[in-house]
Amino acid sequence: MSNALPAPAAPASATAKAPTRPRKRGGARRTDNLMGYLFIAPWLVAFLAFTLIPIVASFVLAFTNYDVLNPSWSWVGLQNFERMFTRDPRYIKSLQATFFYAFTAIPLRLAFALAVAMLLNTHRRGVSTYRAAYYAPSIVGGSVAVAVMWREIFGADGLINAILGTDITWLGNPNTAIWTLIVLAVWQFGSPMLIFLAGLKQIPREFYEAAAIDGAHGGQQFWHITLPLLTPIIFFNLVMQLISGFMVFTQAFIITGGAPLDTTLFYALYLYQRAFVSLQMGYASAMAWVLLAIVAVMTALVFRSSSYWVFYGSQEEN
Amino acid sequence: MRNRMSGFAVLFLVMALVLSACAPAAAPAAAPVAEGESTEAVAAEGGDGATSELRVAWWGSQNRHDRTIAAIELFEQLHPEIKVVYEFSGWDDHWTKMTTQAAGGNLPDVMQQDYARLEEWVSRGLLMPLDAYVADGTLNFDNVSESALAGGIIDGQLYGVNLGTNSMVIVIDADKLAEAGLEAPRPDWTFAEFEALATQLHENLGIYGFTGGLSNEQLWKNLYLSLGEWVYNEDGSALGYEDDQPLLDYLGMVKRMQDAGIIPTRETEVAEQGSSVEDNDIVSGDAAMTYVWSNQLVALSAAAGEGRNFLLVPMPRPEGGASTNYLKPSMFFSITSQAKNPDAAAMFIDFFTNDIEANKILMAERGVPISSAVRDALQPELDVAQQQIFNYIAEIESSVSPIPPPDAAGHANVINNVYWPLVMDPFFYGQQSLEDTVRILREQANAVLAESAGQ
Amino acid sequence: MDSATTAPADRAMSRSQSRPLWRRMPTRTLLYHLLVGGLGILMLYPILWLFASSFKGAAEIWTNVRSLIPQDFTLANYTNGWRGFGGITFATFYANSFFYAGVATLLTVLASAVVAYGFARINFVGRRIWFACMLATLMLPVQVQIIPQYIIFSELGWINTFYPLLLPRIGGQAFFIFMIMQFIRGIPKDLDEAAEMDGCGKGGIFFRIILPQIVPALITAAIFSFYWTWEDFLTPLIYLNDPKLYTVSLALRSFADPSGQTDWGAIFAMSSLSLVPVFVIFVAFQRFLVEGISTTGLKG
Repeated sequence: MSNALPAPAAPASATAKAPTRPRKRGGARRTDNLMGYLFIAPWLVAFLAFTLIPIVASFVLAFTNYDVLNPSWSWVGLQNFERMFTRDPRYIKSLQATFFYAFTAIPLRLAFALAVAMLLNTHRRGVSTYRAAYYAPSIVGGSVAVAVMWREIFGADGLINAILGTDITWLGNPNTAIWTLIVLAVWQFGSPMLIFLAGLKQIPREFYEAAAIDGAHGGQQFWHITLPLLTPIIFFNLVMQLISGFMVFTQAFIITGGAPLDTTLFYALYLYQRAFVSLQMGYASAMAWVLLAIVAVMTALVFRSSSYWVFYGSQEEN
Repeated sequence: MRNRMSGFAVLFLVMALVLSACAPAAAPAAAPVAEGESTEAVAAEGGDGATSELRVAWWGSQNRHDRTIAAIELFEQLHPEIKVVYEFSGWDDHWTKMTTQAAGGNLPDVMQQDYARLEEWVSRGLLMPLDAYVADGTLNFDNVSESALAGGIIDGQLYGVNLGTNSMVIVIDADKLAEAGLEAPRPDWTFAEFEALATQLHENLGIYGFTGGLSNEQLWKNLYLSLGEWVYNEDGSALGYEDDQPLLDYLGMVKRMQDAGIIPTRETEVAEQGSSVEDNDIVSGDAAMTYVWSNQLVALSAAAGEGRNFLLVPMPRPEGGASTNYLKPSMFFSITSQAKNPDAAAMFIDFFTNDIEANKILMAERGVPISSAVRDALQPELDVAQQQIFNYIAEIESSVSPIPPPDAAGHANVINNVYWPLVMDPFFYGQQSLEDTVRILREQANAVLAESAGQ
Repeated sequence: MDSATTAPADRAMSRSQSRPLWRRMPTRTLLYHLLVGGLGILMLYPILWLFASSFKGAAEIWTNVRSLIPQDFTLANYTNGWRGFGGITFATFYANSFFYAGVATLLTVLASAVVAYGFARINFVGRRIWFACMLATLMLPVQVQIIPQYIIFSELGWINTFYPLLLPRIGGQAFFIFMIMQFIRGIPKDLDEAAEMDGCGKGGIFFRIILPQIVPALITAAIFSFYWTWEDFLTPLIYLNDPKLYTVSLALRSFADPSGQTDWGAIFAMSSLSLVPVFVIFVAFQRFLVEGISTTGLKG
């Protein structure tokens, strides 16, 4: 049986075509500390030199009332954490906004990215033009121009109202404002799309040819070849979108500033305001570590689940 | 200044030293495309005869950057021994950057400061009192009135030099007013008259009678200033007024006008917030009145284009109150306590304040200059909008209220975490009664202020 | 699923070379172009709006907001914007941005590939822990790391140089390391093992076997890394003081002042222009993406 394909899912002939060299079990498990550390050395050095200290510092500051401008600070124990959950209504709102955003924008964005990647993974005429057109929105990023543009499109007499024939102040209405940011996130779906495309390109053509000979086509090929072989990339995109979804900052920062009624007050935005506007860096650091805990748990859950649905060509355990 | 490097900074110093020992010893001679020398290298170089370096930082837009850099070049011509190194950014970025530099003990010599932040920075010992430079004549204020300097004084010491005088102003589209067949208001008009005029403009023309954030904290502050009080108490530990009735009346009026469609609702305001002066409804002709800070009239007029006529009137006041206007320093230059070259910094600020040629370059872009000699020299060169601003400031100067004390240290916290999210927005979105709103403001603001003052 | 339909479509096309293009198109292809093209135009609308605004005169930008066609077409916004600030033009900012994004991308992609191979293919003590650490660095908001990091670089005397911007890139970036790892793990291990039996070391395997197969991943990483670095304004803001070192993204943010006068035309013009390099990089590189590796490499 091949190690390259999830055996139960793949059509027989496709598996037959895949490399079938028997695996030496011992070789895969062998540890090689010297080479391992040699290869990860660049990251390790940069991590120890530039990232570790700021991380440790922010952890220490989470238990202080450090305010950035004043070099003297004092320990406040768990007070920052206690305030967060008991005496800060805005904090709760920022959690609500962030979770809502994460659980709507991430699935929508990934589904859209995958669908478009599939559509564009073809040799049809003009497809590279389409690819460029679909990627283009993702490079306008988060400049001031985007803020003006987005406000214009969702404005009282903007494009969206013109198309829908409605009269909604999208950015001013607490029920709709967050959706404009979700639409923006979906609109800028270029990065997961490109990664999906690269993943689709990596699927060996032979598998499809074999499947075609076998009579499998369209939907069958998608379910039995494309999807399983794409799972490592789907997994990667899911994890990364999850993390960046919880870190979402720029769009709210430049477009809504958290308004209306704190319905778009994303966690990282609120944290930034506490750190650099209200000058409560200690409190912001505490918030940052709670966020880290939340995201770490969510990510760990996804990693846990991955052994049930992610198939690696190399069939190693992760 | 060294004694400030306590606690936190020392911790990092030690960590960084340990780190630098194991950092790549000879960092590659990266060649950043433009001159990539560190600031020290520039100073040491001294190729152009400069013996000392002066660092200046400000926020602004292209116009201000151009003018300020040109003025700096003039300063360098006059003082070849000083090399000026400058850094500029937009408003948000300026504060992120300055805050970071302050934490790193790396602030420039001269930094542009804001009235709302001054107390915050002074209370942390980050700015240097300038009185010694005034005493020895480095900073010459012979042509400057005391009221123009007052805003920069905290606890009896001068911490910032006003770069231009500003005041809030109601801008009326004169053509719309005529079209509606209405009279211009008196300079000491009341809120009742304001509401009546806006209502009539709205009814006669079918556009907004007025646009602009009437729930802005600035108007809350002005309201109590006009009544001879101040929103914060002396040590910034609580609200400074007892009577909530004026605020109750005022907010009631604003809500009434919103509900009647005379002014944009809070919802519309929020949807358009963050827009610039240029995006104001009065520019597009969708509103007949607005308010701005006087220096913003230049931007407003430019965006509106040729052939528009704007009328400037002071802000309305509550019944029986004094003026709701005061003369506010638009921004300051301050010398930081981390300055390496404070003497040159003082010379530079004096140059900005008094030098006629420099001010002909700067052209009152930061507000009406505080020196009367400079004002006189600029008069013939002003454009229409600037002329209006100069006249407006001159007209109201004698009748304005005295400048209120700088904001309490907890001000930013009150505004961002209480005023908008718990008070104004829930009220104007109809989620909270007027009575609750005023009560919550008092309770929550007092809690935050007490905590900030106690630290 | 389109890879599957491609082949018959191609065959159909070659069969009917003599007929006009629109007749040669099978209904399916036509539908495809209608759907994908239509959606594409919708996707592009906001960008078209931005470009259109950049050609509008100062008085028109806020009075003729919705129109995609400037009433009075002008290039003044481009000349005003390009002028920059006090004699420092966008030529300087572009040079700095190209330097920063170019070097950073090169470092990031190379380092990420090396590190990814280490994590994906070599068993070593502590692998899981370091990998978890790497992912965790992505989960701590950067806002609380800025100040300590600034103090470190300040003590090292590197403020106002490109070192704080570039040196951290010698370790690659977690996002790309993880991404490339996933691509490596999709490659059957049999090839490695065969090479190992032929006496190839880990380094040899990486360069001769793995690297050629992850070209699409590396190109994707290069496209993103270039764009994300190009767009990054926070690091340049914090570490670069001299305006002669400013990047395009930082310069763009120096145009706007909510309390004063803002030349929006210049902002739109320079924002539009700043998209060009990123877009060109994408178009240039995506060709390699399309061709990809498809069938090569796996016939080991």
